[in-house]
Amino acid sequence: MLILTRRPGERVVIGEDVLVTVMEISGQTVRLGIAAPQGLPIYREEIWLAVKEENRAAAEAPADALPDGRATDGGATDGGASDSGTGESSSAAPAGEGEQQAR
Amino acid sequence: MTTIQSTRFGTIEVAAENIVEFPAGLIGLGGLRYALLDPSPGSNFFWLHSLEDPALALPVVDPRTFFRPFALAVSDEDRERIGAEDPEAADVYVTVRTAPDPVDTLVNLRAPLVIWERRGYQVLNGAPGAELRVPLFAPADPPHERSAQSMGGGTPIADAA
Repeated sequence: MLILTRRPGERVVIGEDVLVTVMEISGQTVRLGIAAPQGLPIYREEIWLAVKEENRAAAEAPADALPDGRATDGGATDGGASDSGTGESSSAAPAGEGEQQAR
Repeated sequence: MTTIQSTRFGTIEVAAENIVEFPAGLIGLGGLRYALLDPSPGSNFFWLHSLEDPALALPVVDPRTFFRPFALAVSDEDRERIGAEDPEAADVYVTVRTAPDPVDTLVNLRAPLVIWERRGYQVLNGAPGAELRVPLFAPADPPHERSAQSMGGGTPIADAA
């Protein structure tokens, strides 16, 4: 593993088009800014690992493993509002807990 | 038509409109091209079957069938990747973790598969209650905690524009 020492404001370049900036260091926390091509997904490791585990577990299902999928059995159905969207207010919660990726 | 040799389903002919390209693959699984199969018409379960690996297939459901309302809150980057002008028209599926007892069937609402114009991405859903493992079937007498998992709030993808 390559180990580099950086100060806030300094960057690391990975390949030709990935730029990692040390934005801020506060106690045990380092805030990173990552600029990468649009097609390159960026995940927190723990989320990536968790989703990977779920995908792998799903992929273990044998062909006959599925129950009868009756929507009436399940779900947090609040009745009605299946045409979600048009009337709902938007609280604009981004997926990244308030962080943004500069691309 | 494309032919899949599947370890689960044998030889399958797949129509072009049922083939989905995943430019970034599925998280941790990879795979660039999958077919959306409906081996049990009438059930709400589908299979996302790799075109490259005869043994790679995941059961999926449309969360909008089971969770109403279903909210999808994705990052601006993912919204751009998905590319749907009218996101209400995008297809959404979630992976299913099967269990010996169907009551224990879980779905991953945290990382849904969003498909638009035969191109799909597995994205992270930041909507409240969009957890990694959510029971697909509500108990007969839903406990109060279930309501905490209802898919309210967040940014419905329909508001993406």
